[in-house]
Amino acid sequence: MAQVSISGDTLVVEIEGLNKLWALKSRLEIPLRNVRGATVDPGIGREPKGIRAPGAHVPGIITAGTFHVDGERIFWDVRDPAKAVVIELRDERYARLVVQVTDPRATTDLVERAIARPRTE
Amino acid sequence: MGRPRSFDETEAIVAAAGLFAGRAYDGVSVDDLVAHLGVHRNSLYKVFGSKRGLYLAALRWHLAQRVRPLADRLRAAADPARVLRDLLAGDGAGDLDLLLLATVERAPQDPEVAREVADALRDLDEAVDLALGGTAGRGGAPSPLAQAFTATILGARLRTRTGAATASGAVLFDRMRQPEH
Repeated sequence: MAQVSISGDTLVVEIEGLNKLWALKSRLEIPLRNVRGATVDPGIGREPKGIRAPGAHVPGIITAGTFHVDGERIFWDVRDPAKAVVIELRDERYARLVVQVTDPRATTDLVERAIARPRTE
Repeated sequence: MGRPRSFDETEAIVAAAGLFAGRAYDGVSVDDLVAHLGVHRNSLYKVFGSKRGLYLAALRWHLAQRVRPLADRLRAAADPARVLRDLLAGDGAGDLDLLLLATVERAPQDPEVAREVADALRDLDEAVDLALGGTAGRGGAPSPLAQAFTATILGARLRTRTGAATASGAVLFDRMRQPEH
């Protein structure tokens, strides 16, 4: 399970509980300008995950850690795909984050609103 | 890095516009998009960023390729009143479906959608105003009557979508054009 929040101009993703061990990460901080969007996507649980390195993958139980697919690096922390949210990034170590959150729609709205607001660039 | 994009972006956008024109935003899942667009999930995220990103691309395509030409047809018509009456009667109004759903559903929640919708409605208002002999687009603002006709075109389309053909818009138009006694 992940806690997603916005702090100033930064998206903060905190991995909670034992998943910290499997995912080998407890916190990700992404500048909002590198966040392209967030999507509720329960169906992504059925996608091929690619090659895991490093992390834990027990099919059907847990997907956590770094996975490589089509030349992209993807961060996973999902036990229950029904609550999966996909956060697409640019110019970051990960191409996208696939994380389980308590309220997927609220998280998606939070992220989309944060990146939709006008910025002076 | 990665595999080259193995799909036509515009084709995917057109297919998405079709899906979003028929169903509510939340009623279209990423599974639906992957299945109907012939695009891999990872490519979909890589190219469009999110479902909302794809939706905005689909809406913009729809407004530029379907709604705008409709307004242009009105502007260019030799007999604009006739084209306006046809539109009010529902002829070609099926091209307004994504705009219609966006107006009802997404615009109140998404400021970017609201902006696109407002611009498109304004464009239609101006074209209708010109068809009525007004001066919108030549410096004047669209008249309230033009706005009422645009609203009627959309409203009549809404009723037609429930399955009942309606001539309400054309009847209203004819009534408005009757000489006053």
